[in-house]
Amino acid sequence: MSKLVCLVSGGIDSPVAAYMMIRRGVEIVAVHMDNRPFTDDKNLEKALHLVRHLQKVTGSPIRTYVVPHGPNHVTFARNCNRHLHCLFCRRMMFRVAERIAEREGAVGILTGESMGQVASQTVQNLTVVTRVAKLPLIRPLIGMDKQDIIGIARKIGTYEISTLPGLCCTIVPKQPSTAAKLTDVTNEEERVDISALVEKSLEGMYVLAPEAL
Amino acid sequence: MPSWKNRWKGCMYLLLKPCKTTAAIEAIPRNRLVLDLDRCEEILKISCTIVANAGIMLIVSDRCEVSIHKDGRLILKTNDTDLAGDQAGRIAGWLEGTEAIQKDRSSGKAGQRSRR
Repeated sequence: MSKLVCLVSGGIDSPVAAYMMIRRGVEIVAVHMDNRPFTDDKNLEKALHLVRHLQKVTGSPIRTYVVPHGPNHVTFARNCNRHLHCLFCRRMMFRVAERIAEREGAVGILTGESMGQVASQTVQNLTVVTRVAKLPLIRPLIGMDKQDIIGIARKIGTYEISTLPGLCCTIVPKQPSTAAKLTDVTNEEERVDISALVEKSLEGMYVLAPEAL
Repeated sequence: MPSWKNRWKGCMYLLLKPCKTTAAIEAIPRNRLVLDLDRCEEILKISCTIVANAGIMLIVSDRCEVSIHKDGRLILKTNDTDLAGDQAGRIAGWLEGTEAIQKDRSSGKAGQRSRR
């Protein structure tokens, strides 16, 4: 069975993407990038609740990694262009997810990204984000309408969990770039030690076995 | 009347409103402010735990966790209005009149009163 690492945020889309791929026979390893203190505890609780629910509705065990992402936000906010923050964030997620994929023997990274939903999901920005990855990025929701995604989420019972109260990421810039250039992003990233950030994230992560959820 | 409402008379914060996710409460400054967050950190570390200073936002923990933005807005991570009001009043009490308030944009005045 093929294995994918799935970025699970606690929102509506990523559980739907995970569900769709599990239904196609893919084994999932969940990765939650923990944005605290720029979110609250409820987001982590929601992400774990969603994984637990997905296990229940699919019958597929899911190992879950929780990775501290807050210190990465602090580093980017203090050193790099604010407008590009969401791109730095996403690219870090993919770097970390790839390392977890190596460890897990996964062949790609699965996300709930959907075109045009948020600032980081324009064609230009998705291109910039994609360029950081060496493994294939699987985006089953990329062209779907939000209402269709919500319809699936309701059907599988994740919508009610995803829409529980939880503080949105507070470090999102007021004016995020919607058409970033790769060179601008990579030039800004040179201001920080990306490798050290990845290593630090991996050092701080913990793994939850399927039965521990 | 909760005790924090008395403390708020003349305080730098005016409005408490739930965030759109209802997971937190936002306090809005009475006047538009510019805060020196590094100076805020210096002042607040005496009374609070500093969680993170991201340059554009300082996060402290006291009775609840609070994100302090450069423009003075507070995001109070609780859905208890009384607790949020009390916490915002405490933050205001520690910061008002200090050099952490670089500029009050509406009046052009910097913090003038002595630190409490």
